[in-house]
Amino acid sequence: MKPIRLLLAGVLIGLVAAPLPAMAQKKKNVLNLFCWSEYVPQEVIDGFTKETGIKVNVVNYASNEEMLAKLLAGGSKYDLVQPSEYTIEALVKAGKLEELNLANIPNIKNLDPKFTKMPHDPDGKYSVTWMAGTVGIVVNTAKVKTPITGYKDVFDGTHKRRIVVLNDAREIVSWALNSLGLPINEITAENLDKAKPLLKEWLPQVKVYDSDSPKTALLNGDVDLGIVWSGEAAILYKKDKKFAFVLPKEGAHQFIDSLAIPKGAPNKENAEKFINYILKPEVSKLVSEAFPYTNPNLEARKLLSKADQENPASYPPGEPKLETFKDIGKAAKDIDKLVTDLKGK
Amino acid sequence: MLATTGVAETTGGSRRPGWFGWLMMAPMLLWLVAFVVVPTGILLVYSFCQRDDLGEIVYSFSWENYRRIFFDSDTGKFGTTYFTVFIRSIVYAGLTTVICLVVGYPVAWFIGRAPESRRNLLLMLVMIPFWTSFLVRTYAWIMILSNNGLLNSGLEYARLISEPFEMLYTPGAVVLGLVYSYLPFLILPVYGSVEKLDNSLVEAAFDLGAGPVRTFQEVIVPLTQPGIVAGILLVFIPALGMFAITQLMGGGIKPTIGEVIQNQFLQARDWPFGAALGMTIVVLFAVVFWFTSRKQEPA
Repeated sequence: MKPIRLLLAGVLIGLVAAPLPAMAQKKKNVLNLFCWSEYVPQEVIDGFTKETGIKVNVVNYASNEEMLAKLLAGGSKYDLVQPSEYTIEALVKAGKLEELNLANIPNIKNLDPKFTKMPHDPDGKYSVTWMAGTVGIVVNTAKVKTPITGYKDVFDGTHKRRIVVLNDAREIVSWALNSLGLPINEITAENLDKAKPLLKEWLPQVKVYDSDSPKTALLNGDVDLGIVWSGEAAILYKKDKKFAFVLPKEGAHQFIDSLAIPKGAPNKENAEKFINYILKPEVSKLVSEAFPYTNPNLEARKLLSKADQENPASYPPGEPKLETFKDIGKAAKDIDKLVTDLKGK
Repeated sequence: MLATTGVAETTGGSRRPGWFGWLMMAPMLLWLVAFVVVPTGILLVYSFCQRDDLGEIVYSFSWENYRRIFFDSDTGKFGTTYFTVFIRSIVYAGLTTVICLVVGYPVAWFIGRAPESRRNLLLMLVMIPFWTSFLVRTYAWIMILSNNGLLNSGLEYARLISEPFEMLYTPGAVVLGLVYSYLPFLILPVYGSVEKLDNSLVEAAFDLGAGPVRTFQEVIVPLTQPGIVAGILLVFIPALGMFAITQLMGGGIKPTIGEVIQNQFLQARDWPFGAALGMTIVVLFAVVFWFTSRKQEPA
């Protein structure tokens, strides 16, 4: 097993990493974009190339952790990355990000001030918010008739093996902490001990763990409830109004996906041009239409259709209790151990 | 493994290769060194390291990662969740291998004994699935097995069932996915042995009064053994480490060792611990392989 996997990994890394530096040297007019898969629409990239003549090389990743691993391994030079809030915090702490030249990014004025200078980047020097979102509950109201208001209703024992949740240890543990009224960013041995009995009760009720496309299990009718990314919930709601979105009353995670420039990026100015380009209302609107998360761009929001503006998963009404994640360093290991132990048994 | 058995048969065993032989083998040896020996060495080094806050490797020697695999960190007792996970993976892989053998052997036999003109066509049928990415094929299974999927809808339409039958995200679905993916890897090497089997030996067994069962046991199986062994290895080893199919079709509820290792590298950002888990499996394989090959030597 090992040799085959390693061999594949070697080949893949070779394929991905080799062309990048070569291209960067050959011509100045490129942008090496390292972004989430399924998050930057192709028409946005094409539009940018058409307007500026800058060729965009796209490399994808599927999690913040994967991005960090590849970024820190070095070898390839990326100009622009797309980390979430707690990853930005860790990267800033380690001095791995370039300061942005905001003079090159005038369109930042379009952003809702709520989404600039956030706790993970208090001066707004290193990152520009791409999209925000939450992790909430999707209810198939055709199947579930009882009211669902929070995590405790999902895991009350009546929906056994009818639940899909994100396959993400930190998310799962944060739900338990929120239910217990504990701070989701203080991952101490004591707090994890308190969360453990609750998770022990919850996890056996889960049918599917899926972070990539949790909507699939809901659409296929394999489950009736889900705790998923709000963007997935918004897509489900667009497809069928029976999929209601609920932000748990105990509190929910708000994630902030941003654009940032890694230290030593060879084409920093092109990266800033790209950031400025996606902040244009008409461009940002395209992103929102393809991936209906919460768009921080107020001017772009005005261009969206009424149905999209009123999608409760993208723009939750009221004042829900939301909190971002902070970098927890080595405690990620304890969280992983806790969840692996509970799942593995 | 397939290559070694093949070479041993054609060159008649222990003849040492000359300089020309080495030259011919050079590309393969280079490949092995660059993509197997060196990465395994890196894994070995990592497995004794630690991670820092950002998840980068800290080079300081410690047995901590191996201790974590074998001893419970709370109680200090021998035995951890990783044992359970590992045993579960062995059961999945073992079951997959047995089913592949039972289903695949007759297929390989049939193809190997078919008229020569038809063999290539039949072999092609076995290999057609490789034309599509295995991930796409796995997603196809999800569409077939899900509650609103093809199979359930069909059965409901035919009034054979009234409620959808829960198939996806069960251990059965995992084994089905694994068998589906690895069956060709058993059929192909067994076919190789069956094709070379001298039919006169089978006829001789019958002439000397052996029944079909005895002929199969004492003539056919020993003669096709190299193919069977290669097939078992080609199915069992990758099935043990597989994480994509178990995750997609099992729903990740009961993780396998492959999923746990993948998690260490991608989610927990704990490469040293992932490396230690990987090395433990490599060592385990090496020990099992050494024992089994030592047993076979006298024969």
